Parts: sequence; structure tokens; C-alpha cells
Amino acid sequence: MPLPRFATFGGTFCAVLFFGVSGDFTPSAASAEPSISQRVDDLLAARWKEQGVEAAAPADDSELLRRLYLDLTGVIPTVAESREYLQDSRPEKSRALIDRLLVSPAHSTHLADVWRDLMLPRKFDPNQTAGLIGLQNWLRRQFVDNRRYDRVVADLLVATGGDESGPALFYTAVGLKPEELGATTARIFLGVRLDCAQCHNHPFEKWTQQDFWGYAAFFARLQQRSRAAAGMRLVDADSGEVFLPDSKSAVPTRYPGGAPVESPERGTRREQLAIWMVSADNPYLAPATVNFVWAQLFGRGLVEPLDDFGDHNPASHPRLLDELAQSFVASGYDLRRLYRSLTNTRAYQLASRRAGGPERPADLFAEMAVKTLSSEQLYDSLSRVALQSSAAMSQRLADPQRQAFLIKMQTQSQTATDFELGVPQALTLLNGTELNRAADAAQSGLLAALEAPFMTDGQRVEIAFLATLAREPRDSERSRFVEYVESASPDKHKEALGDVVWALVNNAEFALNH
Amino acid sequence: MNPIRELAATISRRQWLRASGLGLVGASMSGWLPALAAQQAQAARRHCILLWMNGGPSQLDTFDLKPDHANGGQFKPIATAAPGLMFSEHLPKLAELAEQMAVVRSLSTKEGDHGRGAFLMRTGYRPGGPVEYPTIGSLVAKELGDDEAELPHYVSISPYALFNPAAYSPGFLGPRYAAATVGAASPAGAATDATTYANLKLDDLQLPGGVDAAQADRRLQLWDALEQGFVADRPGSSALAHQLVYRRAVRLMRSQAASAFNLEQEPTTVRDAYGRGRFGQGCLLARRLVERGVPFVEVTLGGIEGNSVGWDTHQNNFTAVKSLSGELDAGWSTLMRELADRGLLASTTILWMGEFGRTPQINAQGGRDHFPNAWSAVLAGGAIRGGQAYGRTSADGMAVEDNPVGSSALLATLCAALGIDPATQNTNSMGRPIKIAEGQPLRELLA
Repeated sequence: MPLPRFATFGGTFCAVLFFGVSGDFTPSAASAEPSISQRVDDLLAARWKEQGVEAAAPADDSELLRRLYLDLTGVIPTVAESREYLQDSRPEKSRALIDRLLVSPAHSTHLADVWRDLMLPRKFDPNQTAGLIGLQNWLRRQFVDNRRYDRVVADLLVATGGDESGPALFYTAVGLKPEELGATTARIFLGVRLDCAQCHNHPFEKWTQQDFWGYAAFFARLQQRSRAAAGMRLVDADSGEVFLPDSKSAVPTRYPGGAPVESPERGTRREQLAIWMVSADNPYLAPATVNFVWAQLFGRGLVEPLDDFGDHNPASHPRLLDELAQSFVASGYDLRRLYRSLTNTRAYQLASRRAGGPERPADLFAEMAVKTLSSEQLYDSLSRVALQSSAAMSQRLADPQRQAFLIKMQTQSQTATDFELGVPQALTLLNGTELNRAADAAQSGLLAALEAPFMTDGQRVEIAFLATLAREPRDSERSRFVEYVESASPDKHKEALGDVVWALVNNAEFALNH
Repeated sequence: MNPIRELAATISRRQWLRASGLGLVGASMSGWLPALAAQQAQAARRHCILLWMNGGPSQLDTFDLKPDHANGGQFKPIATAAPGLMFSEHLPKLAELAEQMAVVRSLSTKEGDHGRGAFLMRTGYRPGGPVEYPTIGSLVAKELGDDEAELPHYVSISPYALFNPAAYSPGFLGPRYAAATVGAASPAGAATDATTYANLKLDDLQLPGGVDAAQADRRLQLWDALEQGFVADRPGSSALAHQLVYRRAVRLMRSQAASAFNLEQEPTTVRDAYGRGRFGQGCLLARRLVERGVPFVEVTLGGIEGNSVGWDTHQNNFTAVKSLSGELDAGWSTLMRELADRGLLASTTILWMGEFGRTPQINAQGGRDHFPNAWSAVLAGGAIRGGQAYGRTSADGMAVEDNPVGSSALLATLCAALGIDPATQNTNSMGRPIKIAEGQPLRELLA
């Protein structure tokens, strides 16, 4: 795939130059953004026409509001935020909201959650809390500064810091094994399954054993310095090799699809890989990244599975993927711009399927997919209902209650449209403490607020809907719920409101991003 | 296959209608649904009970005594019903049942840390690496579980997962295969004394504090109206799966099957025979769950007072093991007798193990430390050739002399006893096919 060359690293380039540099040095791409959103919509519309498919109607304000909050900040909006948006009559209000959310602290936290999830084999291990916080903080700093994504990847590939100050958990979580690090980085940064060739060559696959082990060899010299008071450090030793299974011959380093290379003048093996990663010789990073972000927002990738790029598995919209990737490179690997472009498309802002509507193939993106809230989104959204505060939860990764919830709910599927929970988790949601914090008269901030005098029960029910579903109740819902609250005896009034909140947060509409 | 597609594939339309029919109108929290005939149909199915000895039980003071060596310690061996097979003097009731029990005396593993050892023994794979291996209970429940059953497929009683939650996790199988837990929330507390029974309840089956059955019914009616409205408006598998899973949970809350957890239905003589502590009452609960068709039940013995790492006897090994043996002997032997009385022992395989064994040398505090080199586990009941010891350790207990066994072979043998091919593959989220257990079943242990 031809990509514009924006930088080439010669033999004299010193890796230190860009490691640790922060901030944008983005080529002027400010004018590119509206056009790429438009381009996405044009390409999709052409396909819909070709296939004779009519796209879904635009999502209504509430649907889009809740979707944007969940996709960009990982949590539902508060009552105040919902009200403000729903009452805003400016035609450009969704664009303004997107701009505001993209620079909010919650956005960087959410992206750190998403990438941390992607990078770690075991998501919530309470024995690794310090490492988790280190990785999270490191990622979050990159996203706050909106650093060039290629530089972020390069820095990760040469990272040495651990515990609460660095991303080393990414390495230690797989025991520093070169084959695991090779497999993981190829999957998440290159979008390819090199490791399918770990044990032997496959007759119809592009990747050979030499490709896999040659790539894994870049991690062969990584060592963990024994734990000192200063925290955990990774070091790059002067020796260390990988070997083919059942073989004694060391495999030289090579980039996927290339010939063996040794370029010690470029630094350690990990530094060599980092330099290749950000160079124009690497055609994989940009498409893999835009595909990953696309899947986060649209519920499935343009290439699906996300880590299986190759001739055997073409993209559903090859030209769209190409142009997005080129635009991403031209923007200087600007993730924030990518999120902004995609969320401003007509396609992203379509409604999801409604009863009676036509069946539209998921890979046409002619309607929004219904995504399941991740366990982190679910916990944080439940907390938001209970607390009605958008304050950042600084200690959330170390919060034992949150950890226990995430361990119980942790899901496996890479596909956001799957609903994976089972009966034990449903019992916890029905009867456990989390839901009850929101619905319990003694603990719920929302219920406390609803007890304010001079409010009608109609207004209270409306607030409960806004707090959970970011929408106003429909007439039938309003009458049913208001009647329920009004029929309670005065001493049971707050309890009845709690029942309303309970029913709302336990609902499929709450658990799904639609 | 991913879980929800699998769910969709395994739920026939008929099942779906039946589950939907058990919706909220007409049923209520305050009354029980009629018993389902499915209970009787369970009898022919296989079951597994894992007796998990948290902390690492001393093989030298239970099933592999060394009376002629200084490492042997204080306990005397006693003869059992199986000629030539000796147990500790503090396991007299189990000794009577030794014909049903096969002691594996040659376990040899490589993990001497609680969290890592638990992972190895409970998954059959070493910890580390990118694959989230499922715990054996989830694997077995997936193979043997009946989708129409009201009760969970995997119930874990008093689990103590703090050392390594991954060792208790359904891993890449996904949360649908997670254990329904009993008493997981209060591992340290809930001590019992001689006058009361341990209080064992399925976690989160009870209504939250302050909510009575009438209020729960009202809540569920509100919930059902909203849920039905959303599902009707949004055709799609996620909303449908949400509704189905919640309805199953509600069905369990209201079902007569849930009365399995009500141990007060048992006569006090029976309850007392098991022992009044968490382990004894857990064994009783395991029997009641197996009777009702639950394929995998796990009971943890982690202490006398509450539940922790009771077998981690770095100090005062003999006092602690004597008292733990009393709990173990009463609970386990009564469980086997009662299962046999009901014709269920032949279809129920029991595995007794912990994360590793203890050092043969006795340390200065009268304790024994972690020792994975040479230790014991026990298989009993269904499809197990009892009355034997498999493998052998040296006279000082320091090394395996005969037929070393690793965790994967032990779990493969358990699978074979349960009628499951251990080479059965599941696929993780990265598309890797992974066997239930890599090892080969030990034929000598199988009936």
C-alpha cells in the first residue's frame, strides 16, 4: 500500500532525538479534516447505492449524546450535561460537543483504558495494581498531549520504566518472552498475525517462520533488572537470541516480509525496531490504527478480525481504509483528529436498527451497531448515576470495589457487539451492591437530589431517565412511572423513586450503547 | 466461536419461548414455581466435585506418611479398607472408604508460590504468557452443563481467590462460564462455633438488604416493561441476550431449584455428620447440588475459623493439620456415603488437591514449608479405580521415585473419568485452539 513518505531515518539518525519528545509537529492538516469526514460518507454512500441499501435515519439527539459520551469518555453524561445538550438549539451542537469531549480529561482516561485493555493479556489483576497504574498514567499522558501516535508506539517499544511511573507492565505481563512480545506487537500495531507461523510455515500464508522469529528477535535482549528501591527497570542487554523451535541456530532480526537486517549503528535491537516502526518502510501501522479506531466507534473493523490484515482477508471497504490511513499519516498520526473526523461523519451519527426496518449487512455501516458497554464503562456509568458528579475518579484503578466488579464481569470478546455476561453476573447486577448504591435511598446522590421540594413526580421521573438513558421518558413510560411513584405512601416515596432508578439501570437500554 | 453466537446457536426457539414464558407476569418472588421434571433426568449425567485445600496440604500428614523416617513427624498411619493402603490416623472415616479412593503420591510440579501453584493446578497450564487459561470448573461445566438447567453449571463454595483471581477465572471462555460463588464475599469472616452451622448462601441470590419480596416484584414489573419495550424496538442479538440472561437469573431467584441452597431443609443429624463448619456444610451443599444436576461443584477447605490459607502450615503444622483433618474427614466421608446411598457416587468424580505439598523436613517452628517436588492428590468415586496408591516417593519423602505426575496429566485423568476427551479444543479470542488438558489420562487410575 503506497503511503506518503513523511520521514526517513538514515543510518546517522539517533533514536534519542525523538524518544521523549512530546507535542505535535503536525503538518498543516487543519483543512484536511472536513474533507476526510465527507470522503468517508461519500465512499459509503456510493457503496450503499451500489448495493441498493437505504441507510438508517440519523440518530436522535439523545442517542447521539449518549453514544458520544460512551465512545469518547467511557461514561454516560450527567443529568446537567444531558439537559444542556438537549436544550441547545444550535444546528452545529454535535460538532461543538465532539470538540469539547475530545479535550476533556475523561477522553484521555478513556483512551488509556482502551489501549491498556488492548495491550494486556490479563486486564484486571489486583496483584499488578502498581504496574497497571504505571501503564495507565503513561498512556494517559500521551493522549493528553495528543502526541503523534507513531512516536507513542516507538516510545513504548523502547520503554524502560516500570511500576507507577512507566509502561513496563506491557513487557512483564508476558514474562519478557520475545515470542509473546513479537506476537502481541505485530497484532496490535501492525494488524497481522505473524505468530500463526510460530511453529511451522503454512502453505497458503504469507508469513514464514523466519518472519515471525526474525521479528521476535527484536525483543530477544530485553531483561528485567531486579527490583530496587527506585522501582522496576527494563534493560537492553548486549546479547540474547531467539531460536527456531527444536533448532540451535539463532534467527537474525528482520522486519516482516523483509530480509535479515543487522543495524547496530541504530542502537539496541528495540531501538532498531522503533525506528522501523515510525519509518515509511512500515506500511502496516497506519491502516492497523485507523481500523482499530474505526472498530471502537462503529462496532466492527473495516478489516475484521482487527489483527488479521492480509490478501486472504480483504477490507470490506478497501479504498475507504486506504484514504483514511493516508489522511492519518498526512495529519502526523494525529489520533484526536481521527476521532474527530470519524465522529463527525454522517455514518457514525446514524441510528441503530429499529423494529420493522430493513436488515442491513453489518459491514456496510448503513446503520449504527449496538455495542455492549465494557465492564469499565458499566461500572463508571453506574457510579455516575449514583454520584451525579463528573469529577475524575483518580484512584479508580486501585479501588478494591471496582476491581472486584471488573474481575467478576471481565469479558473476552474482541467484538463490541457481543453481550457476554451470564447468570452469575446478572445476579450481581440485580442484587449486588453496585446497582443498589444508585437505587438505595440511603446512598444514592441521585435519589437525594430527587427529594428536593417543589418538584413534581413527573419531573423526578424525567430526571431519572435523563440520569440513566440520557433521554426523556416516552408518554407511556412517563405515565406508568409517575403513577407508580405517586401511588406510594409518603414514607415510601423515596423508595419508589429508587425502584424506578433500579429498573432503569438494570435495563438493556442502559447496558448497551445504541 | 464467540460466546453470544454460541449462545444463540445453542438456544433453540423452543427453549427461548420457554424461558420467555417464565417472564414476570403471573410468577412472583413470594411464591415458588412448580418443580421441574428436569431434576430426575439429571441422574445419568456425570458430575465433578473438587475439594480444594487452600494453602497447600501436607502430604506427609494425610495420604503419604513416612513413619520410619524423621521427616514423618507425629502422626501414625492407620490401615484402611484397601489392603496395604495407609492413611493418617486423623482420617479414620475416610479410611473406611479407601476402596473408592486412589491416592496419587507422585505429583511433581514446578510452582512453589501460592498464586502460581493455584493457577497451575487449577488450569493445567503454567502461569504467564498471553493466554487466559480457564479454570477446570469452567471447562468441565462447559462440557457437561445443560443449557436448560435452572441452577448454575459451576458452583464454587468458599473460594479464596485473593492470591490469583486468574486461577479461579473462566479465562477465555468468557464470563458466562464463571462460577456462581457461595460465600466469596466474606472469605475471612463468617467464623462458626460448635453451636451454629456455617451460613452458606449463593452470592447475590438474596435480595439486597432492605428490599422485601413484594418490593422486588414491583421492581421487576417496572423492569420488565422497559426491557420488553427496548427489545421489541431493537431487534438484535445483544438486547435479546441481555433479556435472556436476566430472565434466567430471575428464574433462578424464584425457582424451587434455588432451595438447594437452603440447608435448613436437612435434618440436624445429617448436618452434624458433615461437620458444622464451612467445609462440612459446603460438602452437604455439594451433595444437594449434584442431586439437582449441577455438573461441577467446588468446596474449599481453608481453615477452621473462617476461610483463608489454613493448610499453609509454616508453623505448628501438626496442630493445624490435625484439626483440618477432622473437618476433612467428616465432610468428605459423609459426602461419599450420601452420594453412594443415592446412587450418585458412580457418576460423581471427586478430586482432592491444593496448590502444592509441604516440605518433608520439619522446620524450627514445627512447621512445613512449600514443596512442589513430590506431593499427593486424591481421586475418588466415579470411574476411578480406588483402593490404590499411584506413584511412590522416596523414604524421606524428598523425591518422586516412580511415575511422576504433572498437573496436566492429573486434570486429563479427571476429564477421562468424567467422560470428557481432554484433547477437546476451545478457541481463545486470538483464534488459538487450546486443549482442555495437554496431558494423557493415567489409565491405571481409571476403572
